[in-house]
Amino acid sequence: MLQQYAIIGIFLLGAVGTAVGSIVVNWLVRPKPEPKGDKRATYECGLETIGPTWVQFKARYFLYALVFLLFDVETIFLYPWAVGFQELGFLAFVEMMIFIGILALGLWYAWKEEGLKWL
Amino acid sequence: MVNFGLLYMEIATAALGLMLLAWGLLVPKRERQGIAYLTAAGLLALLALAWCTRGAAGTVLPGYTIDLYSIYFKSLFLTAAFLATICSFDYVAKMGFNQGEYYALLVFATLGMMVLATSGELITLYLGLELMAITFYILVAYRLDDPKSAEAGIKYLLLGALSSAILLYGFSLIYGTCGSTVLREIGKRISSGQADFALLLGLIFVIAGFSFKVTAVPFHMWAPDVYEGAPTPITAFLSVGSKAAAFAALIRILFLGFDNQAFLWLPLVTVLSVLSMVLGNLVAIPQKNVKRLLAYSSVAQGGYLLLGIVSASLLGIGAILYYAMIYVFANMGAFMAATAFYNNDRSDEIKDYAGLARRAPLVAAVMLFSVASLAGIPPLAGFPGKLYLFSSVVARDYSYLWLALLGLLMSAVSVYYYLQIVKAMYTGNPAPQKGALQVSRGMEVAMLLVLGILFFLGIYPTPLTNYAFKAGETLFMP
Amino acid sequence: MITLNHYVALSALLFCIGLLGALGKRNAIAILMGIELMLNAVNINLVAFNRFLQPSQVVGQVFALFIILVAAAEVAVGLALVINIYRRRLDTNIEDLNWLKW
Repeated sequence: MLQQYAIIGIFLLGAVGTAVGSIVVNWLVRPKPEPKGDKRATYECGLETIGPTWVQFKARYFLYALVFLLFDVETIFLYPWAVGFQELGFLAFVEMMIFIGILALGLWYAWKEEGLKWL
Repeated sequence: MVNFGLLYMEIATAALGLMLLAWGLLVPKRERQGIAYLTAAGLLALLALAWCTRGAAGTVLPGYTIDLYSIYFKSLFLTAAFLATICSFDYVAKMGFNQGEYYALLVFATLGMMVLATSGELITLYLGLELMAITFYILVAYRLDDPKSAEAGIKYLLLGALSSAILLYGFSLIYGTCGSTVLREIGKRISSGQADFALLLGLIFVIAGFSFKVTAVPFHMWAPDVYEGAPTPITAFLSVGSKAAAFAALIRILFLGFDNQAFLWLPLVTVLSVLSMVLGNLVAIPQKNVKRLLAYSSVAQGGYLLLGIVSASLLGIGAILYYAMIYVFANMGAFMAATAFYNNDRSDEIKDYAGLARRAPLVAAVMLFSVASLAGIPPLAGFPGKLYLFSSVVARDYSYLWLALLGLLMSAVSVYYYLQIVKAMYTGNPAPQKGALQVSRGMEVAMLLVLGILFFLGIYPTPLTNYAFKAGETLFMP
Repeated sequence: MITLNHYVALSALLFCIGLLGALGKRNAIAILMGIELMLNAVNINLVAFNRFLQPSQVVGQVFALFIILVAAAEVAVGLALVINIYRRRLDTNIEDLNWLKW
């Protein structure tokens, strides 16, 4: 019992050690003079942000996220089917095709109703 | 081997829904009025199919049995969906929003109810329940122009999701103690072993979850708000369809799975029934909005229906089946009248109904006879329904006589608030600038149909009662 | 050794936390998160019962899969409704949803 918890403890130590260790090593080996100029910018490379960053995003972006979420989660059924593909046989294949067909209808619907249109 | 042939009703309904969805995409937005007629025709064809094949019986999977009980409920849902579709014609056309989805969602909700009422296994049952619930969340919030509708939708969703989470926890405990999700299997394992704590806790959670769906007090809080905010045809469909489906599933669970745990659920169901009858009827009295009044009356009707479960007998189950079907026509009639009125005057307040009898005699008559049937006044169809329900309780045990008397007393109370609408319609004076109501031909035909059925079954209920009791019998066959 | 009781206790605890969140919070999204916790408690229960009582079958695991899927659909609809309301009044606090008498 205790031994099992010890494994978790070692694992935890390893995880924390990796994170802390890399920061410490970074701190040790970095050049010491105070950074200045571009070094202090939010992005060392890339564009400066213009205006306040706490702006509202268009609600449409959430729509893409929702559509993605649904299609992403539906694939949950494809995994067990794919794992048991050999044993399940032809009937399961037909059933899965119907399932994918219904999903495709949903995608077509989202497309046609301009749910996927990028603004 | 799975017998797919027996799933013809479910497959046909799903196909109709998908077809409507695809049809809505192919047809340009302005020409989508035809979808409404297509839906009505499709539902009618399915109803005919259900009637012609009512003899079908057999097992698809261990937990999914087609029998007369399930076919009876399928016909009930299809009838409700058909009436709701006719009711929606003008309402949806005036709103001018995407009609393809609206009717497709209506059909999918019907499919969910069918699966819920047929399934004798917890996973399928849950899927049916959620298919029905999620489509209803969307439909309730369908009126984008009306903020009340969106608010009703989010309230329904939050409380609905909460109730289904509680229900699921109950399912998981039942699965854990019995090791099976098939109801008959659960029933066998319980009768061989002794009742343990986790199982009883699970049963209580399941009853709580279903109480929400059948709007039993104290789980009814959502009903008035959702009924008021939702589009009126959807309110009508929600109040009859989702309630009947939840009753069908609850009866299956209690009588197939937990028949010998009755000592636990009987007092619970009795309390729920008493609370629903008393509170539903008393709170309905001060209501000023027709939809809210009908919401509380529907809470009370749920209480009467629960009496049939309390009786725990074939007579009680048959009475529930019969009354649920009558309830479809009576409630749909009342909501049809409300929809017709709203289409013209954009109002649901009782005081605006003043003088409706002079402006639209048919609409007023449908409202009058529908609420009279809900109150159980002879010679309308609600009377024999209540008679069966109340007498089934007394037949079980004379010590339950007080329940039947309470039901009678509360029915008398209900007459009072139903009469408020009738009084406004028949004695009030219409505002001078208001002319006759515009009611579409389809709606008029459906209203006459509902009136005819209410009177016919009130005077001669035997054909439907025979069907209902035969359907109830199949539930108890091994 | 971790036994079935540990899992059931964890699940009961998680369920209670979720219920508390769902009933106590006033923000529609926070309530949805509470409900998700409750559903995950159910999933833990199902998978644990499956593993300890019937390792040869997968009924509990399949049930859990279906719950995950349905929960995602429910949340998608819920978020869409929240966005709809938020666009109208820039607020997701359910106490302010008072156009209907609650």
